[in-house]
Amino acid sequence: MLWVALLLPSGPHTSPLDDQLRGLSMYALQYSPRTAIVENAVVVELEASIRLFGGKRTLRDRIVAEVHALGVEQVAWSSTSLAALACARGGHENGIKGALTTLLDPLPMETLAAVKPHLTTLTQLGCRTLGDIRALPRGGISRRFDKQLLTALDQAYGLRPEAHNWVEAPEVFKARLELMSRVDSAPALLFGARRLLLQMCGWLAARNAGTTSFCLRWVHDAMRARDAGDGGELTVRTAEPMRDVEHLCRLLAEHLAKVELAAPAGDLELEALDVHPLEELSRSLLPDPVQAGESLTLVLERVAARLGAEKVVRPVVVEDHRLEWMAQWQPAPEPLPRKRARSSRFPQPSFILSEPLRLSMRGDKPMYQGVLQLLAGPHRVEGGWWQRLDNGGEEYTGNVARDYWVAQSPHCGVLWVFQQRLAGDQTAWYLHGAFA
Amino acid sequence: MPTLPNTAQDDAAGRNAASLRALVQSSGLSQVVWCGNELGSQSVETVSSGWTELDKELPGSGWPRRSVTEVLTAQPSVVEWRLLAPGLGPIIEAGGQIVVIGPPRNPHLPGLTHMGLNDRQLVWIKADVPSERLWTTEQLIKSNSAGAIIAWLPKARPDQLRRLQVCSQGCEAPVFLCRPEVAQHESSAAPLRVQASAGLDWELNVQILKRRGPQQGHSLVLASVPGGLASVLTPRLRRPSSLITPEVPHVVGRPATAFRPAYVAA
Repeated sequence: MLWVALLLPSGPHTSPLDDQLRGLSMYALQYSPRTAIVENAVVVELEASIRLFGGKRTLRDRIVAEVHALGVEQVAWSSTSLAALACARGGHENGIKGALTTLLDPLPMETLAAVKPHLTTLTQLGCRTLGDIRALPRGGISRRFDKQLLTALDQAYGLRPEAHNWVEAPEVFKARLELMSRVDSAPALLFGARRLLLQMCGWLAARNAGTTSFCLRWVHDAMRARDAGDGGELTVRTAEPMRDVEHLCRLLAEHLAKVELAAPAGDLELEALDVHPLEELSRSLLPDPVQAGESLTLVLERVAARLGAEKVVRPVVVEDHRLEWMAQWQPAPEPLPRKRARSSRFPQPSFILSEPLRLSMRGDKPMYQGVLQLLAGPHRVEGGWWQRLDNGGEEYTGNVARDYWVAQSPHCGVLWVFQQRLAGDQTAWYLHGAFA
Repeated sequence: MPTLPNTAQDDAAGRNAASLRALVQSSGLSQVVWCGNELGSQSVETVSSGWTELDKELPGSGWPRRSVTEVLTAQPSVVEWRLLAPGLGPIIEAGGQIVVIGPPRNPHLPGLTHMGLNDRQLVWIKADVPSERLWTTEQLIKSNSAGAIIAWLPKARPDQLRRLQVCSQGCEAPVFLCRPEVAQHESSAAPLRVQASAGLDWELNVQILKRRGPQQGHSLVLASVPGGLASVLTPRLRRPSSLITPEVPHVVGRPATAFRPAYVAA
């Protein structure tokens, strides 16, 4: 058996809050379902998980690196939960090297919670360490003190089996965190939010799930201005179910960078809104050559979080003859239509202008950086009377009647220009695209 | 008499080079020794550019992976797709995504399908601010997940390009940075710089400004008919330069080129 005890900081008269303990146990659930809250600390039995997480050393390094962000003061390992807890309180991290008796005997006796009620009597008897108590006659201890002391002592030394109430992952995740100090700027909320995200990812791992949207709420503190309101919230959505802390953290950072707090925030709350089952890829013996970095979806998601969702787009081809409506662009994460449009077999430019540019004329020839030489045409595009468009309250139809030409410019390659009839007998030439 | 000693020196240098080459080949070091007058080809991962003539001139015969390539043009969005699209074909067939960052004009997919792209494998990132373009490019390069990256960076500074070049050493996709022609006078960390312009008769003029190897003597002329135009070109239109008449001032509202008397030319 390999137990790890995660000890939260506590003073002589204060104990960690229930919220903190629950949050920490949620985080620990990702390593093993055999997680329990014992004596204001979280203990986890990890023997069966060692191989999954790549060996004892890797597992230890990972846990030690992560729990500091959760505010854990001391981590300790041992072969029983009470011994791990005693080691943590005594400040020893490694409680698996050597015999349990030699490890536990020199520890101060207060490290075992069952000793606390009898601390005065035992001190007066001259006991200082756990070894001192163990040296007392067993019969005398059971008669003079209560049964719990002897039981706890035996359980710590591995002489009697331990029984725990395992922590269960709740159906929904909602965690709250009181910030240590008031936070004035939104990006600084990330420090607290990361702690909550770690808990959420632990909870997701315990349920074999990933989240596609989560909500971070902050509550302004009592000293706020009257018009600031109670607080605010930020919902972050991801393209695919996800429980990678680093990615969620970076995503949240991009979103928080755009938020301005109306007043200093005192409390944070994180809720997982949409939770979907997540299938994890099995690890292979050989390194996977295909995917070394993060996937393109994740990068695009991060880019979209900074630039805006409408800035990262994919094309959707529409069956339309008019150049402006031939290809629509939609945000990248949205699914593309299953049925593909037929592609046009007529020549099309590879770049188009967002608005056709009216060309100046020299005589009867259009000019764009020199007189254009019309090569092929006309290619008539007419239609669109059925489409009603609205431009700031002013309705018009999308009707066009244009004669497209392929034109060659001496300086800017092959262009796609069109001639359009204006009022009266006049016509005008426009530049609409480039065969670049 | 300055010529005589020079010739002697040249002869000596030629003999030295010949003996060095013989030494390199005899000792089996030809894989690791690179002579400066040959094209560098060792240990360069490349993807074919799609142009046979261009492949012959490029080190490793193709666009390099794991480094950035600069494409310099006089004006943006004039020849980029025509030059790059033939090389993107194999990448698209392998399922790679083409990411386009900050093009100066809107990409038009129906035209690009003629060049082999499709709607499932194109992403357009509309980054307008130079810092956004650089950041986005760097993120994509670092992630090493795109099939090819084409970024328009008109205002990038040499140190920013160096940063991208360093990042791109872990990126298997070819990275093309489209920049204005004036940038050829700036130093650049990109190991390959290519200048491209459109010729009149359906051709691209490509000059390799910098490569691992000797300087390129002459510019390449690549025949290229863009965007499905090949089907509509008549034989007469295959040489548009013959259609273009030199500009002369109008004489009574009409070009005076047709009937120019012989004595004027004489």
